[in-house]
Amino acid sequence: MKRYALIIALLLVVIVGACAKRYTRPPEKAEVPKEEVIKEEVIKPETEEVKEEEIAYAREEEVTEKEIPIEEIAKDVLRDIHFDFDKYNIRPDARPILDEIADFLIKHPDINIVIEGHCDERGTNEYNLALGDRRAKAAKDYLVSKGVSPSRILTITYGEERPLCRESNEECWQKNRRDHFVLMK
Amino acid sequence: MRVCVIVLVCVVFFLIPCPGDTKIYIDISSPGVRPLPIKIISKGPRAREIEWAVKGDLEATGLFEFVDPDVPGAELIVNMKADTDAGLSVLFSIRDLIENKEILKKRISSSRISIRPIAHTIADDIYKVATGKKGVFRTKITFLKDSGSGKKELWIMDWDGYNVRRLIAKGLTSSHSWSHDGRYLIYSAQRYKKWKIYTLDRRTGRESVLFYSKGLNLVGGTSPENIVAFSSSRDGNPEIYTIDIYGKNLRRLTRSIAIEVSPVFSPDGSQIAFVSDRGGTPQIYVMNKDGTGLRRVTFEGSYNTSPAWSPDGKIIAYTGRINGKNQIFVVKFDGSGNRQLTFDGNNENPSFSPDGLFIAFDSDRDGYRAIYLMRINAQWKKRITPRVMNASSPEWSPYLK
Repeated sequence: MKRYALIIALLLVVIVGACAKRYTRPPEKAEVPKEEVIKEEVIKPETEEVKEEEIAYAREEEVTEKEIPIEEIAKDVLRDIHFDFDKYNIRPDARPILDEIADFLIKHPDINIVIEGHCDERGTNEYNLALGDRRAKAAKDYLVSKGVSPSRILTITYGEERPLCRESNEECWQKNRRDHFVLMK
Repeated sequence: MRVCVIVLVCVVFFLIPCPGDTKIYIDISSPGVRPLPIKIISKGPRAREIEWAVKGDLEATGLFEFVDPDVPGAELIVNMKADTDAGLSVLFSIRDLIENKEILKKRISSSRISIRPIAHTIADDIYKVATGKKGVFRTKITFLKDSGSGKKELWIMDWDGYNVRRLIAKGLTSSHSWSHDGRYLIYSAQRYKKWKIYTLDRRTGRESVLFYSKGLNLVGGTSPENIVAFSSSRDGNPEIYTIDIYGKNLRRLTRSIAIEVSPVFSPDGSQIAFVSDRGGTPQIYVMNKDGTGLRRVTFEGSYNTSPAWSPDGKIIAYTGRINGKNQIFVVKFDGSGNRQLTFDGNNENPSFSPDGLFIAFDSDRDGYRAIYLMRINAQWKKRITPRVMNASSPEWSPYLK
């Protein structure tokens, strides 16, 4: 019985071995020494690769860490400034906002902005487009005077065509007479 | 875009030759003109619809009084006979009932049942016989339709508001102008944050860029020589420039630190009316086409914009702000004879019909922005765009072939 058991055990080993051989083809034992030699050579680039990945990963993280706050800061900094009816001069209440925007742009030289000039509904459409153009330019000129490069600022007028507020009262009109600042993508 | 969907063919055109027959039934240049009593009799299929459209055209002028067919007292009688055997064909005649003679007999036909184009042609003929002047019943009006979310489309319609079609859907279209021959539409549009001036060749349906620079480029009007006047902030500040329809010969006409916008040519092309705030508020100014001879035209009020020059060159219509509302005014080009034409709601963007008898404008008088027509004497104001359509900035076409 013991002999039979031994033979069965041996057969099983052979079968399992055969099976194992069939299913785990790459790590063939005959090639093990060769592989080991290769492995030694391979290890270095592998570790280097890993390092590179780590660096890239770290870099990416750095970028995302920076980007998220910049948009958040931008949201706080890039506030609308407002104008009087049919006027495009920078009002005293707009200056602190523009100063903050100028500081922000000087601190982040890789960021460009679009200034949108808007008007309320009371003027006529064509004149309001020209007025919006001047309102956007007034803010651009102010920022340039504070040391921001003009090439970093694009201006666009929408006249009265894109109101924030659609009611016909002074509160609403004041909201619409604005320069709106947008991060350029 | 198909420019000519329907080709009208005058198959028969026989004017009864009457030597020295240039009788004018209504002198439209005389003040307090009495309407001309006229009878219209129509027969045949679709004839009633044609008659309705003809009457609609003539009624708008305020120069005709329609007399019932069985009632005597008309000076002119129009007989129409419609026939729909192949397309639509109308044989009509105009007869002088006082002198008892035929003045005009004509057959007009189209390959399709084109009621309104045929009716407009007949109305033009009746108008010509009665007044000796060309009617505007076959002209068109372009305008802007607000499609929401800061976009505006350029649309076109017949002078009476029928046959409305969209021409340009892209972006935010703004000011627009017809070339004098009616072939080109020149318009400014903001697309992808850029303001460019485009031309649309109505013959080929092709759009091309006429002018582009940084900042705002806003077209004003076109001269008889196809010179386009526009406002551009390419040099930092909206100034008046001219360029030809092929995009050549750019000239800068104004130099100031103020806003200069909405330049429109006088009908002979020698002068340009425009808006400037160089005096502190937006006012209408006139200068020669080379930028010399500047003079101010409006002095009343603190917000006068959107000038339009009458076809005879004598008056300028504009939008003036009074008591917190915008109204249509007219003023003689020398600055005298200032007159307010509208009083209800906000009324803006006047544009003259090519005969100078009507002004198209936009108004919110009924609670929504729509296009209206009025006679130059401020009588008869009529809305021509539907309530559901937010329509503004009409530009009347020249006479079209």
